[in-house]
Amino acid sequence: MAKIKARDLCCKKKEELLKQLDDLKVELSQLCAAKVTGGAASKLSKIRVVRKSIAWVLTVVNQTQKENLRKFYKSKKYKPKKTCAMRRKLNKHEENQKTKKQHQKERLYPLWKYKVKA
Amino acid sequence: MSPTFQQPNTLRLRRQPKYPRKSAPRRNKFDHYAIIKFPLTTESAIKKFEDNNTLVLIVDVKVKRLSHKAMKQLCNIDIAKVNFLIRPFGEKKAYVRLAPDYNALDAANKIGII
Repeated sequence: MAKIKARDLCCKKKEELLKQLDDLKVELSQLCAAKVTGGAASKLSKIRVVRKSIAWVLTVVNQTQKENLRKFYKSKKYKPKKTCAMRRKLNKHEENQKTKKQHQKERLYPLWKYKVKA
Repeated sequence: MSPTFQQPNTLRLRRQPKYPRKSAPRRNKFDHYAIIKFPLTTESAIKKFEDNNTLVLIVDVKVKRLSHKAMKQLCNIDIAKVNFLIRPFGEKKAYVRLAPDYNALDAANKIGII
């Protein structure tokens, strides 16, 4: 089974995605049974791939669901609001703001990337 | 007049929220696949297939009852009864006695144990 990519999943419909999720879960249960009975190494290594694919499909499903909900509630007056604490937190822009001084400091000593000779 | 005051019956309306508090309900994370983790293939478990027509499965600890649906979806079989125990390492073991018209060996073959 090829590696699942979010790009391919994005264009699918919800029922297709859920069906794919089902298939993946069945495959995972079979692989787990194979693991117990001492299966081939190829099968054992596939477990990780299948688990991550399940995660991908679920991510896409949930993301599109949330996106559609946001679209649905955008024009409405009464929309689901977050929790009280979340509404009072600093937003992302405010959190990331830095003083000029700190900015200069960070520029002087950035995270270095080392290359290792093979 | 009685000394205690009891609140009279008032009109109690049902909630009619203008928006759902949770925009989308959470998905069921405890589906059939999460319940049954894997079958056991120890010597004593294999003895159970042959002698007692039971499957031995490792199951999620929170499971109270194994539904017929879960077993049907796993390998298309009917259950007579299930006994649970919790292993010392914290996993739950289910001894699943199959209905008399189903053969445990065939079911085990289907799952891939034998």
